[in-house]
Amino acid sequence: MTTKLRSFLSALVNGRRLEREMEEEWRFHLDERVGALMASGVSRREAQQIARVEFGDPLRWKEEGREARGLRLIHELRSDVQYALRQMGRAKAATLVIMATLALAIGANTAIFTLVDAVMLKPLPVPHPEELKQLVWIARRSGFHATYNGSARSNAAGERVATSFSYPVITNLRDHATTLSDVFCFDEPQQLTVVHDGAAQLVDGQFVSGNYFRGLRVNAILGRTLGDADDKPGAPAVGVISHRFWRRAFAEAPDVVGRRITVNGAPVSIVGVLPPSFFGVLPGTRPDVVLALAAQSAFDASTPPDALTRADRWGFQVMARMKPGETVGRAEAEAEALIRQAIVAYAPAAAYDPPRIVLDPGDRGLANLRREYSNPLGILMGMVGVVLLIACANIAGLLIVRASAREREIGMRIALGAGRWRVIRQLVTESVVLAVGGGCLGFAITYGIRHLLPVFVTEGSSTVELDMAVDVRILLFTAGTCLATGLACGLLPALRATNLDVASLIGRTLTGTLTSASRRWTGKVLVTTQVAFSLMLLVGAGLFVRTLLNLRSEALGFKPDGLLIFRVNPSQSGYAAARWNDFYERAVERIATVPGVRTVSLSRYAVLAGGSTRDGIGVLGSESKPVGTYIHYVAPQYFETMGIPIRLGRDITWQDREQSRHVVVVNEALARTLFGTAQPIGQWVIHPNEKVADAMEIIGVAADAKFSDVRRPAPPTIYEPYVKQPQRLMTFAVRTAGDPEGLSGSIRNAIAAVDPSVPLFDFWSQRTQIDLAIRQERLFANLVSGFGLLALLLACLGIYGTLSYSVARRTPEIGLRMALGASRHDVIGLVLRESAGPVAVGVGMGVAGVALTARLIQTMLFGVTHYDLSTLLAALAVLVVSALGAAWLPSARASRVEPMLALRQE
Amino acid sequence: MRSTSLLDILGETDYSPGHSRRVTLATTTELLQGTLDLLILKAISLGPLHGYGVLLRIQQISGDKLQIQQGSLYPALYRLEHQGLIESEWGESDNRRKAKFYSLTISGQRRLRAEVNYWGRLSDAINLALAAVPGDL
Repeated sequence: MTTKLRSFLSALVNGRRLEREMEEEWRFHLDERVGALMASGVSRREAQQIARVEFGDPLRWKEEGREARGLRLIHELRSDVQYALRQMGRAKAATLVIMATLALAIGANTAIFTLVDAVMLKPLPVPHPEELKQLVWIARRSGFHATYNGSARSNAAGERVATSFSYPVITNLRDHATTLSDVFCFDEPQQLTVVHDGAAQLVDGQFVSGNYFRGLRVNAILGRTLGDADDKPGAPAVGVISHRFWRRAFAEAPDVVGRRITVNGAPVSIVGVLPPSFFGVLPGTRPDVVLALAAQSAFDASTPPDALTRADRWGFQVMARMKPGETVGRAEAEAEALIRQAIVAYAPAAAYDPPRIVLDPGDRGLANLRREYSNPLGILMGMVGVVLLIACANIAGLLIVRASAREREIGMRIALGAGRWRVIRQLVTESVVLAVGGGCLGFAITYGIRHLLPVFVTEGSSTVELDMAVDVRILLFTAGTCLATGLACGLLPALRATNLDVASLIGRTLTGTLTSASRRWTGKVLVTTQVAFSLMLLVGAGLFVRTLLNLRSEALGFKPDGLLIFRVNPSQSGYAAARWNDFYERAVERIATVPGVRTVSLSRYAVLAGGSTRDGIGVLGSESKPVGTYIHYVAPQYFETMGIPIRLGRDITWQDREQSRHVVVVNEALARTLFGTAQPIGQWVIHPNEKVADAMEIIGVAADAKFSDVRRPAPPTIYEPYVKQPQRLMTFAVRTAGDPEGLSGSIRNAIAAVDPSVPLFDFWSQRTQIDLAIRQERLFANLVSGFGLLALLLACLGIYGTLSYSVARRTPEIGLRMALGASRHDVIGLVLRESAGPVAVGVGMGVAGVALTARLIQTMLFGVTHYDLSTLLAALAVLVVSALGAAWLPSARASRVEPMLALRQE
Repeated sequence: MRSTSLLDILGETDYSPGHSRRVTLATTTELLQGTLDLLILKAISLGPLHGYGVLLRIQQISGDKLQIQQGSLYPALYRLEHQGLIESEWGESDNRRKAKFYSLTISGQRRLRAEVNYWGRLSDAINLALAAVPGDL
């Protein structure tokens, strides 16, 4: 068989040369024969004639020769494609419209698939990613940890499924596992303040174990990565930087190794630069600075110094490489035994179930992103698929009309002996060529905008970093979509066009008096499909738009207008912890003097920025379980600045300093949960694990306000004085008399007057912050509305086109009717009725489709249910009015037909 | 010079002097494709030939009893080459002109032997069947 393949490929490549050789061979043959004939006494002319007759038809031998080499199909395809291109050139306008529509539809599909690929399918850019596994523990009672940092969820059986482990447990596994070759751990990426060459910026950083890079088998492109020696207590503080950080901060300077930067105020020496494709193990993030876990407490104030030695502090995620040849079952069993053994060794006080250990596949990194974004991505993929189907139905309708104009050509081909499937193959090739053309255009557009795509999976104001490089899967998807689209568009018209009664075609005119019912039926089905899908998209658009409007108008509990916010971090400017509060106070004093500023205050987090601290809170002396609460560290006048009314008691004042009593304000939700209707003022509350001396007195109750998320109702919140815990980062909130942005210059100057070396981050109005928080909803609303309008446009064009064509074919009939006494209104009604049927059926199918699929988007909706009737009715109204409008023009044209002219057309 | 008629040209007369009138047993269209391939393989097995030479040789070894439409030889040659049973090479003909010569490959030789074998057994079987008389039943 290989000889056949080789021969086929060589024939493919050397096509022209082989043809020339064939001709040369045959010329030789003919010359020899002529010579032989002439030698027997025949004249040259006669001999040549005889030889040619004996030889036969060269064209036929060429075809058979091609067939002998397996080239016939290729040759036919090639000539089909050339013919298709000529046809396209002849009808430039139609070709352009079709290709533009396909470019949009296929491009949208490719764009969303690129996202799906980047989030869900792409393996980590490390050697042998299939060996990587992520450790997961499952237990009903998890008393083996005293503190837990990381993600956790409940499964269907009510057990806790979580991914963070404690360091001693991990080292026990690492040192004794035989089925796993490298067990490495890391903390979640976090923001760090990095100062280099005097410039400060917030970057994403990560703390990892010493064998992290060894386990991933990643090498630095400059210098070295971290090793076990760097992950020892007391080791010199070294770090590795990402390629992006190297490019942006150091302009790819070759001498970056050995340079010193400051991270959160402490010095770090750079030892290496990571490859550009490497982003860590959590898709969506790209840490710019990677440091050793052992040093974390020196850089991060929230990490205690014993973070790595406490066995009951579970906070590090673990991945491992499975040794080749080992099975997952064996590795899981061994890991489970070792981890349970480690837990028993430190004998946790609380009740617990020995955890089950599961090894999740780690070839595509941690599953967090995939799980979070699988829903919005699925919805997007479904919608662009529907848009493509509408486009296909639309173009199929167009191609049917065009094919009917070629009836005589097709009839001729069939009469001359072409098989029906051969003609169908040629027609389908034409539509595939169109689809490929449109697809290439669409792909080019997607390629151009690919770096803008991650915004679709960005929730709130966070940033998602994805590797948007084009890989084989995306190319295959695009090619497959083009092919499928070409087939979908072209098969139906081709089947219909070749279903001809050839004999009756010869001599017949283009427009018959009657078109057979079956031929009109195809056009109607296509209109029905388009109407149905358009309705579904319109309803979806309506639901997303209403979600956005609901979110925008949602009562926030505070007054967002006229509020300016920004963040500062004095720690990197050399401030020690003790002096931070001093800086904040002076800054507040200074800003309060700026004209136009009403009040100014501070809080740890900006509202609706997604960040929060959570802990339990209980009444002092009470035995009841602590209530989960959100903790807001605020400065005095916070409520006045934010516009949150105080319902009972008073605000925290500047007099309530750290040395004096701990006073707090709670919101209504927390007061209700803790005390019911009883008076909360004067009560004392305490966090679990706090000393009695740290108890806090409630001095005020504030109205409920949203904290980190617009969608969720205001959670139970406690407002504690920010001076209670020194904060590295604080958000300033400034209420201004007029436009907040207008005062930004004066406020920057005010901070600079206090200390010019402290930079400001995220400087914008609260309104902008809220807009960022609902960015995804805004995007979806815009996008789906765009899709809905596009679908509506295509459906209307489809109705218009089909009806126009039908009117054109029925002109003699209409003329006859009018001659027999039909009025203009009768004709209009006649034509409109023709479209009423398909549209009505389409509406029915669309409503059914909505009923079936609308629930899939419920998780993304807010304030509106997926079965909302008013949205459905509104979409219906829009669709019916548009369809009517589209059908009106051909009907009006039909009514203006001159009977005599129409009859003469026959 | 003999006078020629149209029928003679299109018919079964050969113009080489001295040859008797040949009787055609089969034309190319009646020959099964496999049989033509077998004849070509046999012809080439006797020595490398160009296309025209294959034609002459088949006529020669079949005693001029087989008429082959000359052009149809070539698709058959290409098919055999595609299957790897013969291989081609450009060379020089007797009168020093460039021509493509075909020769048998190892697998071609094997195929020829197998086909000849098969042909023999087939014809024996058919001959046996055709020799049946009512008395054998």
